[in-house]
This record gives sequence, C-alpha cells and structure tokens, in this order.
Amino acid sequence: MAVTGPAAAAPTPLLQWPGWRQLPRDARDTLFLLAVIGWTVLPHVSHLPAWCSLLTLTVLLWRARLAIVNAALPNRWVLVAVLLLAAALTFWTHRTLLGKEAGVTLAVVLMALKTLELRARRDAFVVFFLGFFLILTHFLYSQSLPVAAAMLVSVWGLLTALVLAHMPVGQPSLRQAARLSARTALFGAPIMALLFVLFPRIGPLWGVPQDGQSTTGLSNSMRMGSVAEVAQDDSIALRIRFEGTPPPPGALYFRGPVLSHFDGVEWQAQPPSFGAFAPPRRNLRTQGAPLRYEMTIEPSRLTALPLLEAAADAPKLEGMRVFGLPDLQWRADRPLYERVRLRAEAFIDFRHGPVAAEPSLRDQLELPPGYNPRTLAWAAALRGEPRYANADARVLAQALLEHIRSDGFSYTLAPGEYGRDAVDEFWLDRREGFCEHFAAAFVVLMRALDVPARVVTGYQGVDPFPSDGYYVVRQSSAHAWAEYWVAGIGWVRADPTAAVAPERINRGARLLPARGLVAGAIANVSPQLMDQLRGSWEALNNRWNQWVLNYSRGQQLDLLKDLGVSSPSWEDLALLLIGALSSLALLGAAWAWWDRHRVDPWTRQMDRLRVALQRTGVSTSRHEAPRALAQRVRAHFGARGEPLAELLDALDRQRYSRATIARPDPALTRQFVTRARALRGAPA
Amino acid sequence: MLAGLNPAAFARARFQAWVNARQPRNDTLLLTQRNVYILPTRAGWMFGATLLVLLVGSVNYQLNLGYVLTFLLAGSGVVSMHLTHATLRGLTLHLKPVAPVFAGDAAVLDLVLTSPGAARFGIGLKVAGAPEATLTWINVPALGQAHAQVSFVPEARGRHVAPTLGAETRFPLGLFRVWTVLRPAAQLLVYPRPECPAGPLPPARPVPGGPTQSRSADGGEVEGVRAYRRGDPLKLIAWKKAAKALDTGGDLVSRDTSASAHQELWLAWQACGNLAPEERLSRLTAWVLAAHRAGSDYGLRLPGVEIAPADGDAQRRQCLEALALWQ
Repeated sequence: MAVTGPAAAAPTPLLQWPGWRQLPRDARDTLFLLAVIGWTVLPHVSHLPAWCSLLTLTVLLWRARLAIVNAALPNRWVLVAVLLLAAALTFWTHRTLLGKEAGVTLAVVLMALKTLELRARRDAFVVFFLGFFLILTHFLYSQSLPVAAAMLVSVWGLLTALVLAHMPVGQPSLRQAARLSARTALFGAPIMALLFVLFPRIGPLWGVPQDGQSTTGLSNSMRMGSVAEVAQDDSIALRIRFEGTPPPPGALYFRGPVLSHFDGVEWQAQPPSFGAFAPPRRNLRTQGAPLRYEMTIEPSRLTALPLLEAAADAPKLEGMRVFGLPDLQWRADRPLYERVRLRAEAFIDFRHGPVAAEPSLRDQLELPPGYNPRTLAWAAALRGEPRYANADARVLAQALLEHIRSDGFSYTLAPGEYGRDAVDEFWLDRREGFCEHFAAAFVVLMRALDVPARVVTGYQGVDPFPSDGYYVVRQSSAHAWAEYWVAGIGWVRADPTAAVAPERINRGARLLPARGLVAGAIANVSPQLMDQLRGSWEALNNRWNQWVLNYSRGQQLDLLKDLGVSSPSWEDLALLLIGALSSLALLGAAWAWWDRHRVDPWTRQMDRLRVALQRTGVSTSRHEAPRALAQRVRAHFGARGEPLAELLDALDRQRYSRATIARPDPALTRQFVTRARALRGAPA
Repeated sequence: MLAGLNPAAFARARFQAWVNARQPRNDTLLLTQRNVYILPTRAGWMFGATLLVLLVGSVNYQLNLGYVLTFLLAGSGVVSMHLTHATLRGLTLHLKPVAPVFAGDAAVLDLVLTSPGAARFGIGLKVAGAPEATLTWINVPALGQAHAQVSFVPEARGRHVAPTLGAETRFPLGLFRVWTVLRPAAQLLVYPRPECPAGPLPPARPVPGGPTQSRSADGGEVEGVRAYRRGDPLKLIAWKKAAKALDTGGDLVSRDTSASAHQELWLAWQACGNLAPEERLSRLTAWVLAAHRAGSDYGLRLPGVEIAPADGDAQRRQCLEALALWQ
C-alpha cells in the first residue's frame, strides 16, 4: 500500500496526532461520531462477551486511525468476512443468533463494522438509527437514573452528529452543532411529555423471551446454592410505606411462592392435586387491627405478589386480576412486566390452614426415597428419645431450632457447593449455610418426624431507614423460611435462620457486598455522610421510579379521573391523545395562517387611514406617503379638512422625521377615523 | 400521438402549467408558506420505521424509558420538520442580472439570499433538474445576505429566459427535504460557440478613398496591426498590444507594414466558404474575438445585417449580439 521509502527509512509512529484544530472537517466529524458510538456501546461491555468488546474497540480505533491519516476504507469483502466471523462467534457464545443477549452482541458488532463503511449519506443514517436502537437495548438491562443520563448524552451526541452532517458549509464548530441539536430536542420535549403521559400503555404485543428471571430473588423453585447469587443483588425488589407505626422488622415477612414438593434436589410449588376432593381452604383467622400499607413492586416477570403476611383480601390492581391461593400466596393473572403500586392490609397476628388433619396435608409429608438417609436416621433417633416419642409438633420444632442454635451451625452466604445428599451434608457435616439450607433441612427433618411442613420463600425485613416514607426491600432480602402444621392451630411459621443468625431477622441486617473504592473511603471518613448520600440518592431514585418508570396504565387512568372522566378506559386515553395532537396541529396551522397574513403594523395603519379617507370621497393610491395624502385632503376639503391633514402631517413626522416612534400610535388612528367620519358626505 | 394520450404525461403537463401559473416569473422571490414545499426524505421514512421498531420494543418489554426515547426522537423529528421549513421560509431569493456567455461555456448565475431574522444553515442551490451533485451549499448569516453562484451550460445561441432555479435544504436532521423554485424573469444572451481552432482571419483591405482614420503612434508613423503570422520578424511585433492580447488569451500582434493607409477588416458571411450556417456563425464569432483582441477595426456582414467597421468593447458586443440573435 502506501508504505514507501520514508516509512521504511525511519520508524515513524503508527499515528501522528495533528491536533484537534488541525484536523480536516471530515476527520473531525468522523472522530466525533466514533466517540459517540463508543460512549453508547460502553455500558454494554459488562454483559458483552469479551471478544465482542475487543472487536468493537479494535474496529473503532482502526476507523479513527483511518480518519486521522485520511486513508482509504477497507474492502467490502474484509467487512463481510469479519461480520461472518462475528456471527459465528455470537452463535458459539450464545448458542443462538436470536434472543436478547445474542441480539445485543450482533447489534454492537454491526454498529462497529458499519463505521468502516461510511461512504454515502445512507450509510451514515444506518449508523444513526442503529445507534438509537442500541440505546434502547440498554433499557433491557437497566432503566436506572445513571443509565438514563448516559443515554441522554448518547442521544444528544447522535443528534449532534446528524446536525453536523447537514451543515455542509465550512467548518461549523461542534459546540454550535450541539447547541442546534439541543434546541431541536428541547423543542421536542413537550411533544415527548404529551406522548409519554397519554400514549396508552398496552401489554406486551407478543410473548417475549423471559431472560429476565434471574433478576429477581423470587422464583417458583429453589435449589441449594441458587439464592447465593441473588443475595449479592442489591437492587430494589419493592418499596413499602406504612400508614401508622411500622411493625418491628422481625415481623415483616413478605410471602412469595410456597414450595412443598421436594424431589431430593429441587423444591417446587405443589402441583395441583387431583386426588383431593375438596381443595384445601385458606381458613385465615386474624386478630387485631389490620396494618395498612402502600407497596410498589418492581417488575419481577413473575405472577407472585409478595404481600406482607397475612393479607385477608385481594388488593386492587388496575388492569389485572388478583387471586389468593390456599397456601396464602397472592398472584396476579399475568406476570408483572411493569412496576405496580397497590394498597393492601396485613394482619401481623394470624393463623391459617386446616385445624384438623385432612388428606391434603399428606402431600406435605412426602420425602423422596433414597435421599439424605443419614438425616432420616438422625430424625428417627430423635423420635426414639423418650421425651420426644409422643411430642407435639411444636416441641419437635423447638428441639430442632435448639439444635441449630446450640450445635455449631453458622450463617454464611458462601457455604460452598453441596453434593447429592445436601441435607445430610449440611445437617450433620458442614453446618454452614444460609436461609435456604436452614429452611430446607428444617422441613426435611420435620417431615421425617412425621410433621407436615413446607418451605416458604419471599422477602424478610426492610432497610432500617425509610427514604421519603418508603422502606426499601432489596433482592438481597430474599429469604426462605418454613411452616409446619400443628393440629388444632394450623400452619405455624418457623424461621430456622433466626435461630442461628437472629440479627438477620430482627434488625434486617443484610450481608452487604464489598464497597467500591470511593464509597469505601467516604464510609471510612464519615459513616453518617455515606448513609446520608445513600439516603438522598435513593430518595431521588425513588422519585424517578415513582414518576417515570412506575408510570403505567393505572396512573394514566387516574389522570383521566382527575380530568373528570368518570369511568376512564383505554379508548378515552387514545381519544384524548388524538385530540391533543390534533389541537396542536390546528394551532400550528393557525399560526401559519397568521404568519402568512402578517402585515407590518405601519402598513396596517396606513391601510385603515386610506379606507377612512376613501369613504370621505378622497381618492388615494397605495404608494402615497402621509404628507401627500395631507395635500390631497387640503385640496379636497380646504380649511375644513385641516384637522385631518394635520393628523396626517403628524403621522408623517412620526414615521420619517428625526423623532420617529417605534410603533404606530393607535390613538392617532382612532382620532383620524372619527374626524374622517365627521367629514363624510360633506361637499367638497 | 401516444405521448399526447398518455394520461400521466397529460396530468404532469397540467400540473406544471398550474404550478407555473401559480408562480409568475420574477427575479426576486420572497419565500412563504405558499412557495416552500416539504416532503420527507428516504432517511425520514427510515427514521419513522426506526421509531416504530423502538415503540414496539418498548411496548413488548414494557420499557418506560424506551417510551421516553421513542417519544423524544419523535418530538425532535416533528420539530425538525418545522425547523427545516423555517430554514427557507422568510428568505428572499434574488437573481442578479446575468452576463452574456458563449454557447458551451458555463453561465454563472449570481444569487443573493437575504435573511430577515435568524441565521440559516445548509441551503443548497442548483438549476432545476440538474443532478444533486451540482448543489452549491451556503449559509445565510442572521439579518444578512449570502451570495451563491450557480452555473449551467447553455447549449444554443440566442436570447433565453434564465433557467428555473431550485433551492433546498435538509437542515437540521435530514428527515425532511424542503425546496422552492425560483422562476426568474431575467433573460440571458448566449453568443454562438466560437470555432476552435479558428480559421485564419481574412486579410484586411485598404479603404479605397475612404476617410483616413489612421491612428498616429508615438513616432508619428502611421501604422496598422494584424495578427501575427509565422515568419514575422521580431521587430515587427507590436509588443504593447501583444502583451495585452496575450493577457486575454489572444495571439501575438504584428505591425502591418502594408497598412500605412487606413485598412478595414470585413468579417463576412460569404468569407466562410461553404460551411453550414451555425458553423459560419461560430467562425464569425471566433473572428470577432480575434479581431477584437488584435485591436483592429472590423465590420460584420451577415445576410440582412451589416455592422460598420469600428473597434472597442461596444463594437464587440454589438457584433456578438448580432451573431447570437441572427434569424
């Protein structure tokens, strides 16, 4: 290629930076676009495969170098080859070319490669539109404030690059283009707000692949070790605001899926039993006054509603049906794809479940044969002890909890992996684990002791300090506890984790992930400052969630109610939106009409005077100045026309003498019209 | 006949006639709602499709920020429509008088754009129907004027109406194309294309008993000049005139020693041999230019036209005009 003598003689650096101001305009615009693309791709790096990040970085740097040295773009076949390679790598990484992860990977690669093909204006547009699409893909992962701010910068950058591409003359500065694009976006903001508020929120158009399930602490199954990852997830699961005094943290159990079917490895919700003639009843018996609260649940992509135990009545959810299961769970009729807000009541003091033994309880006694034999033997031995031979279920539970408390069990989030007979290993050998180990072992033991028992999952506890009145429940508060059945009472909650780590339950202390460098430094200097910063950040975040992310159909219908629509519906919303847009368009048309007929105020005044004069019988023509008109008036009416002529002279001075005035004087116009009317019909 | 029956062609012709009637020819045009047109570009349609994809994505994944992004872009697009239209609306387009040109040479049309308010960016000007690559791009400063030159190549001699001009812009986002047409009233005189290479000038002839119009040089020596011929001795070259002629692209000029008496050069239709009429005009044009460069007196004889010998710019203009407009 162009590597000739000088390059061979003296080793020149790969690139000589000519300085930002010395760059030719094309190179500067290309570098700016590359920077914007880099910024847009950057937040994706954490979930892109390493090869993709590396490839993108290489391509962008290569393209930047080509722009600076003004070299030719690579052959199209090279691009096709790289694209095919990238597609193969994508398939190798994700085992598919479809779906969220593979799609994002491919989009990033396409975006990077397209920059090597910026030949025509059409290519540039492809880059811009791919960029907008990439911005959207970020929201699949996070819609937090920082992501929103970063993407706002991206949108601004892309619009600026678009504006730059349409300023072909000279070398417009980046700042000027940025200002122009910001102006465009700012003028567009009211339209955005209107559409955002009024565009009817409808459900998903078709089933979307549910990649997002790993983001929640809840799931319909539990396998030892699976909650360990979630416990590190500090994101928010729900927010709760109590009316009145909040209950102690130890009483805050948010009930999620109840898992009573155990196959030796995995706990699952009970499949609907066909054998039972009468479905078990909830039989909820409450005491005391209900605790009212308002709750905002983040999108979990599950149907489970983690309500505070125990809710007697279904809370109302706009656009969804909520129903209760016999095991005291609450579910919506479709997964929560959006943030929902609801009001509910909880009875902290409650009992539930059948009072007398019934067939459905037999399912809660099943243990898979061939698993955890040593634990079963241990349970048989316990049962063999005289004091437990005929003991009540509550006595047995106390004995187990006492054993946990006193026999060297410890609570840790990193218990390591457990093998096939996990409960054996946990209960008898290693004795360390977290809530799900304790709950699972407790339930297996109770069942081995012939007491119906089951695992309940959900959240436990809240952050100690409320922000904006809202207590925060994080994914790391995901919890598993146990319930066993006592004749004459029903289901009784037992939290074996509380036996070993009471601070986990009573104070709501969570295991915190390691802090970052800056946060660590701040926390070392001033723990209060750290808490305050965190508090105000979360208050801000909460506002963001409540007003922007949480805005859903419910809020839209509330808005319509506020506007006076008695029973608002989806159609009303669409009508309102169409009406608002049409009136905007009409306003625009009216403005255009006005703009077209806009006449200089001086001309308008002269027109009025001329009409008034013509009615008195004086003929005028358009080009005549006021002074010329005054002469005509004097010639026509003589002395009687003098007052009128004087006004015209005055007008002439107002417009053309040194003492001009900025706008026509309406008083003069009025006076003139009156005097002209007096002269009407007068003989010349 | 078929073309006349073609309904599309008929409709197009009617439409063009309607457009022409709507906008009388004028060298100055104030751009208003009435004469500024707007349509989405291909990129605009692509942008719309992108918005649709973003909206479907936002609906399907229930992304409120996706809605924000989609609607922000939609709002910007709508605003850009108004901004694009406002880039042309309010401007005044004025075509300056056009200088005559030779057929086959580029005629330069000088346009003045005046903005009554804010600055306007990225306005492209071209002759209507010309390819997009010929656009001349300018910006108009706030409350100021900008000059742009658009060139086109007239093919035939004669007096033509200046071609229809188009102004367009896609600023700021390129989603919409806004354009207007200026139908100038100005006329453009196109001289015949000069023959190249030109045949040799016919010889000058002394005036038989004509008035002595000889000019006196410094030494009082009466002299005439003629185009340089091969073999002329150096001392015969009229250096001052030659320098001037060379400067304007002409040839060396020699003293015509034989022209001690007054001579006149007739450039005549009949002197062109048996060329076709247009080629004769071309040759005569080339001769007029050569004679003008040489500074000699020359006259022009066309069928029905006779211009008495003279020299100077007026003579040149008169002769060229006669050639341009002959028959």
